[in-house]
Amino acid sequence: MGQGVHVQELPGIGKRFDIDLGRAEQRISVVVRKNGSRDLYAFTTTSDEPSAVIELNSDQARKVAAVLTGTFFEA
Amino acid sequence: MHAELIGLGAVVLVAGLLARAGRRAGLPTIPFYMLAGILLGPSTPGPVLIEHPDDISVLAALGLVLLLFHLGVEFPAEQVFGGGGRLFAAAGFYIALNVTSGLILGFTLGWGTREAFVVAGAVGISSSAIATKMLIELHRLTNAETPVILGIIVLEDLFLALYLALLSPVLAGSESTGEFVVDLLVSFGFLAVLFVVARYGAAAIGALIGSRENELLAILMVGLVVLVAGASEEFGVSDAIGALMIGLVISRTAVKERAESVVLPLRDVFAAVFFIAFGLSIDVAGLGAVAGAVAVAIAITFVANVAAGMVTARLFGFNQRAAVNIGLTVLGRGEFSLILATLAVTAGLDERIGPFVALYVLVLAVLAPILAANSGYLARLVPGRLLRSRYRYVRAETMSTACTHLDQIKVTTTDVDVCALCAETGDDWVQLRLCLACGYVGCCDDSPNKHTSAHHRATRHAIVESLEPGEGWRYCYVDEILVREPMGSSDSSAG
Repeated sequence: MGQGVHVQELPGIGKRFDIDLGRAEQRISVVVRKNGSRDLYAFTTTSDEPSAVIELNSDQARKVAAVLTGTFFEA
Repeated sequence: MHAELIGLGAVVLVAGLLARAGRRAGLPTIPFYMLAGILLGPSTPGPVLIEHPDDISVLAALGLVLLLFHLGVEFPAEQVFGGGGRLFAAAGFYIALNVTSGLILGFTLGWGTREAFVVAGAVGISSSAIATKMLIELHRLTNAETPVILGIIVLEDLFLALYLALLSPVLAGSESTGEFVVDLLVSFGFLAVLFVVARYGAAAIGALIGSRENELLAILMVGLVVLVAGASEEFGVSDAIGALMIGLVISRTAVKERAESVVLPLRDVFAAVFFIAFGLSIDVAGLGAVAGAVAVAIAITFVANVAAGMVTARLFGFNQRAAVNIGLTVLGRGEFSLILATLAVTAGLDERIGPFVALYVLVLAVLAPILAANSGYLARLVPGRLLRSRYRYVRAETMSTACTHLDQIKVTTTDVDVCALCAETGDDWVQLRLCLACGYVGCCDDSPNKHTSAHHRATRHAIVESLEPGEGWRYCYVDEILVREPMGSSDSSAG
């Protein structure tokens, strides 16, 4: 799917999207769970321990996504 | 009537509050539901909200049916069957090792043959609910071993269907071998019929219950499920297996996703009642007598799980940490163990089974999350050489290593194809390793002189790469762990 996005099935949980940002110390993985909530894994080192994990419900995920795509502006 | 409602409402509320407190400490919910049943039941001092588990037997049976039904509905067939032979081998080994050791334990306890089969299943099959929650909460969804863990627990669910089919005739306690064979054939025949329905009749079932309105979908679905479960019981096959199989049928229809979300809250509530009812049936006085057996069972389960984790890690070329994570994440026991114990109690087996499984589940449900969260300590005790021969280099893996020495990598290629020190003395070597800090090339630890390890001890350079053609794995001496290059590294992002 697309270039540099690796999709991994997680049976019973949902799907994981590993996004290749071209740098080993800057990686993002998003887990889309079956109930619609998303886990955002951010890596700022080359380690496998995520630097931060943020759990978003589907509304929150939409909000973040809208800002990221630039379709949503306020002020 | 109102007295019954007060008792039921209070016990469910207390169960929910206990579970909520437990969740704050990162513990799974199932043991707390059971605990509420034990504490507020007839066998402990203090308030008795429900005199006898039979008072809520229909609700509890509904809980069991919906638990297994939901398991069937959400069964991710494509994901699992696309998982490849290695996953089946890993899951097969896990199940075989755990169930066999459980069977040996069961026979050693000497409670009887039927009891041994129940003990084997209760000890051998891990809790999908607990394992999945643990992976989410420990933030391990990006780990390399996580899809394998999830694959194993899903295949365990499938195994549960077969085990239930085997258990029904065993529990029926037939007088003669011939009678037993007939029961067994009926049981597996029923399973086969439902498999055929799942394969060819899914569209018809989907049309029968597939209302566009969620209200009607829920009602039609629950009606069908309870009917099939009851009919299975009538055929001499347990209601559990009927519910699971009709779930598998519905998982192949167009309403799968909606069915799953509609039934989920129903399942949660009635499953809690089922766990409470199980707690009510536990005689606390009987716990002491089974404590020794439970301690042995937990030790066996722990060893079998870690061993299965090691084998799985070898199959997939994982490192020590992944091996331990696999073993400890699937350590939790919960709903399936309690279902099997309930079947045993219903069939009138040895009454020690109930307290045994209750205590076993309670202890493991608390122990498993604690052990899994601290798997790193156990990983350090695992000798790397058990896994090293299977290491493969996997590119574009998001991650798989906690090695913190990747910044020391300065050299990644070499033209040297001899171990210089061995060549000087005329010794032979088996394989070559490249030091990624300085470019030193030396012989491996299977070679007589082990020059690369000596180089590490002299220089403290951390990471070496295998120069064996086709291997290329990296190993960190300091962390004693297989190193994988994270996604986005210089040459892995080209694809």
